[in-house]
Amino acid sequence: MTRYAMVMDTRRCVGCDSCTVACMVHNELPLGIIFNPVITDGPKGVYPHVHMVHIPLLCMHCEETPCVHACPTGASQQDDDGIVWVEAAKCMGCGACVEACPYNARHKDRKSGVVLKCDFCKDRVRGGGNPHCVDTCHQRARIFGDLDDSTSEVFKIVNGMRTERLYEDLGTEPQVYYVIGLGGQEA
Amino acid sequence: MSERVWSWPLAIYLFLGGLGAGMTIVATIADVCFGQGELFALAPLVAACCLALGAACLLFELGVTLAFWRVFTWHGAVLNFGAYSLGILIALDAVYFSFFTGWFPWCASAEGRMVVAALSLVAAVCVIVYTGVELSSMRGRSFWNTPALPILFTVSGLLTGVAADSLLAGAWPYAGLAEAVESVQLALSYVGILLALLTLLSVVAYVLMMKTSSDAFAQKSATRWISGSFAVPFWLVQVVIGLAVPIALYAFGGPVPVLFANCCVLAGGMCLRALFVFSNDRRMLPGEEDYYEMLATGDEPFMKTNWT
Repeated sequence: MTRYAMVMDTRRCVGCDSCTVACMVHNELPLGIIFNPVITDGPKGVYPHVHMVHIPLLCMHCEETPCVHACPTGASQQDDDGIVWVEAAKCMGCGACVEACPYNARHKDRKSGVVLKCDFCKDRVRGGGNPHCVDTCHQRARIFGDLDDSTSEVFKIVNGMRTERLYEDLGTEPQVYYVIGLGGQEA
Repeated sequence: MSERVWSWPLAIYLFLGGLGAGMTIVATIADVCFGQGELFALAPLVAACCLALGAACLLFELGVTLAFWRVFTWHGAVLNFGAYSLGILIALDAVYFSFFTGWFPWCASAEGRMVVAALSLVAAVCVIVYTGVELSSMRGRSFWNTPALPILFTVSGLLTGVAADSLLAGAWPYAGLAEAVESVQLALSYVGILLALLTLLSVVAYVLMMKTSSDAFAQKSATRWISGSFAVPFWLVQVVIGLAVPIALYAFGGPVPVLFANCCVLAGGMCLRALFVFSNDRRMLPGEEDYYEMLATGDEPFMKTNWT
């Protein structure tokens, strides 16, 4: 069984926004909609002891999907490989999934009226490739793969290093893992 | 970019949904338990209109308005439950009202009316509870995500239902004694006092609970209610005009004070829904708010300019 997941190595991310731009260009996103922003926490501390961390965000493709459960038309779906996506033809743009998502990963397109979101570039991924944001990341801060494959890099990182997930207390079981390290130091 | 997709139309819908369901609950209980259904004969019709108007407001929130029917092609979401309950309640309210008109062959059937009243009561309970459940099921919205919200919305919906039924008591097609109308309005005033006190207690407890919550974003919303930008609508419109004044006027009694009390209750009920809808603060990560504030806005005309 395949279970796609992504690891964000925040020690490597330099906040260049290449992934953000690559996603917008390749997915032809409408103006104002960003699937994977890179936010910056900091700088914090007092010189010379300062640190700053860039946190790339995107849809967490949660195991326990509040957005799919909130969708009243079945447009929001989760496939067996864990990818959460929206079938535009079924979406009526009620916004329930947007409100239900704790990660701000869903966006209502004012022009088409339907909800848009990251789908891990599922067509590329199922063809053996990586999402555009992963291929674009020159720092290799984004690592994508199959969490059920013990030879994959994501499996090794998730099972071998200390990682964190966002808002785990909400019980959504997000499938994006963050390698945390301060000031670029190795964890 | 930080999404707000639900706005005034939803607030109006939540108010009208609670109002219509509350009216139906009060009217059907009066009919089934106390045999006073004729006094509230117009209530199911007005309730059905409120519910239909509320549903129409929801259409304004839809991105693809003409696809609204898709909500009836799926099941499992809270919204589906609400849509089915709402549709059934509107139909039942219309049928229930028809019993009082004398225009149809089934109007003489007392048993039939009781059955429809009981079914309407069940559907109305579903609708009045669901409006709060819909908001409270949003895990990332700290101010909504609590089981206390459906209770608050239910009590408030019942209060608005009592107020509206008090306004409509004795209206067409009722043709009975005026004394009976005064008597039932007095009874509703007592119920109104009780429900207003319960709503007051619930809303104050809710806000204080959020204020003392461990969640910073729930605290932020509660602070906005208590002393921030929502303080005037909350304290003045919701608490004073919507609850405290009606309690005093119901206790004072008399047709004019009760009329004012009922109007104040309806204004307070609408204010409560609006305050909640606009308190959908999402949890934010450190730096997230700064990110969205930094994004350029209003560049669309520039970006879409054809420079060739």
